[in-house]
Amino acid sequence: MPIQFNYGMDQEYWDWSPIVKRPVLHWPNGAKLAVCLLVDLGHYEWKPPAGAFDPPTHTPPHSMNPYPDYVTVTHREYGHRIGIFRMMEVFDRYRVRATVPMDAYTADNYPILVEECRRRGWEIIGHGVTQRQAITSLMSEAQEREYVEASIAALRRATGAAPAGWLGPEHSQSTRTPAILAEMGIRYCCDFPNDEQPYRIHTLNGELYALPCMIEIGDTMGHYNRKLPLQRWVQMVKETFDVMHADAAETGLLLAFRLHPWCVGQPYRIKYLEDIVGHMTRREDVWIATGSEIIDWYRTQPHASFRPERPAVQGEPL
Amino acid sequence: MRHIPLDRRIGYLPLNNRPRIQWPGNARVAFWVIPNVEHYEYVPAAGTGRQQVAHGNPDFPAPNIPVNVRRDYGSRVGFWRMLRVLDRHNIRCTVNINLAVLDHFPEERDAMVERNWDFCCHGVYNTRAEPKGLTVEQQRAFVQDSIACVKRTTGKQLKGFNVLSRATEELPDILAEHGIIYHADYFHDDQPTPINVTQGKLVSIPYGAEINDSVMTQRNRPWEADTFFEMAKDAFDRLYQEGAENGMVLCLPLHPWCSGYPYRINHLDRILDYVMSHDGVWQATADDIAEYYIANYYDEAVACIARIETSQRQLLAGRQR
Repeated sequence: MPIQFNYGMDQEYWDWSPIVKRPVLHWPNGAKLAVCLLVDLGHYEWKPPAGAFDPPTHTPPHSMNPYPDYVTVTHREYGHRIGIFRMMEVFDRYRVRATVPMDAYTADNYPILVEECRRRGWEIIGHGVTQRQAITSLMSEAQEREYVEASIAALRRATGAAPAGWLGPEHSQSTRTPAILAEMGIRYCCDFPNDEQPYRIHTLNGELYALPCMIEIGDTMGHYNRKLPLQRWVQMVKETFDVMHADAAETGLLLAFRLHPWCVGQPYRIKYLEDIVGHMTRREDVWIATGSEIIDWYRTQPHASFRPERPAVQGEPL
Repeated sequence: MRHIPLDRRIGYLPLNNRPRIQWPGNARVAFWVIPNVEHYEYVPAAGTGRQQVAHGNPDFPAPNIPVNVRRDYGSRVGFWRMLRVLDRHNIRCTVNINLAVLDHFPEERDAMVERNWDFCCHGVYNTRAEPKGLTVEQQRAFVQDSIACVKRTTGKQLKGFNVLSRATEELPDILAEHGIIYHADYFHDDQPTPINVTQGKLVSIPYGAEINDSVMTQRNRPWEADTFFEMAKDAFDRLYQEGAENGMVLCLPLHPWCSGYPYRINHLDRILDYVMSHDGVWQATADDIAEYYIANYYDEAVACIARIETSQRQLLAGRQR
């Protein structure tokens, strides 16, 4: 059988689109680089309910210890009690607002955290039910709908409004997830770690965009799990910012990445967060914004409706 | 099919007793750069999937967003950022191509064809296991189809394969049968070496297992691109020194979803800057190196391997007496 394939992606949610072939993207007020800081408030439960999909990253030997895992569960709880307040102090000082993926358990059980986020103008977005119950293709469609609904309903109860954004626990998805999110009113999804600009996700109902997150430079993946020395991780994040800022002279770029209060909120790490935030706020042509602010702007731009054309046929079947 | 047993594929050639290679222009080091231009399927076809484990994210049931969709960054963004750096240093690459990319992403294909890169077959998708698991006849068809696919989409003649863990016992014989001249799945040497095949001539071109940017994405490698620069520089320095006596090969395998990130790109630039600033570097493709080696050293190396085998047998016989 000849080895031959169709043009474009092997799925229909997003188009194949090399960055160099897209129209120039402009951010508001002449900014070159948009930055979105995702501060995760996710809950790690002692024991997920039977049948839940605990991501493989959470099970031995990858991360968590056998039940009952006092070490990991309480270490994560540190974020909700201590780490987040240290982060808030840094963000307040630099007048930067975060986008907070918050799971249903946190929204239902930590109303103080919800208030602290809201009064700072931080944006709360969907983050599943708990971090040890992820989305998976192993779920039925009905189970997945129920799951997304429960995540959204908890945030509506907590904040009075449904969230506009979404980040699945461990970026987990089934093949149905983008369609279900769009149908349930989610406007942007941070799961896709594959670009430096937002892009449109095609679904039958609703209007969904990808707000791509650079998963590799987050505090857990870039430093904690990988055991890259802390200072080297900080350098990696700053270098990312500097190179993207320079590249953004040609077209607007987006840098979104994840931070975890239980990780970067530790006493010996918090000054490095300050180092990073200080570095990013030093320039004037950088727009540090929430996910909704970025997507609300983006959807009005010609970039958002651009669909690449298949290039002139060359070297096609003889 | 009769095939050469695996332990007879590569004859022993000790560093201190082998033909002296002189590269074109009297270069000390043949330097080949091999970007792996890949695609990981959104949902890998059933039964063909290879397990992909990247740091922090072992397998999820498909779609595996943090692992497979993350690789998509390479084609959308990373490839183009890498291309600018490669162009700045006038590097003519050998691309390790997942064949499906040639049809899926013609802009990438055209950029590579415009630059006159050479093509090495890296399977169909990185999420598929063939030729492993195929019968001998199916493997033959696979090699023929790979050659036809590269010809159809790029106009180029395919001359090499790098399929690593997807290689089979019979593969080298089948490659040689079909006019493939190099097989880059071996890590046993810093020079090309003959590969023993049932017919024709096939050589190994050294690939990079450790000097390989993808190593940085592995969970147990807690270092970054500045260290990678040091590794590549140190490797080059040593090979350059030894290359004054006997020409060596330095391979630089790259991945757009590794080196194309903003936090790694400048370190790639430094590696290329360093290597290309030396006289006596032959920046070549694997096709160039294999052809040159076959034309000038293959027969000599085969004869040398035979002599060494004889002398090893004599040493063993002496031990038994």
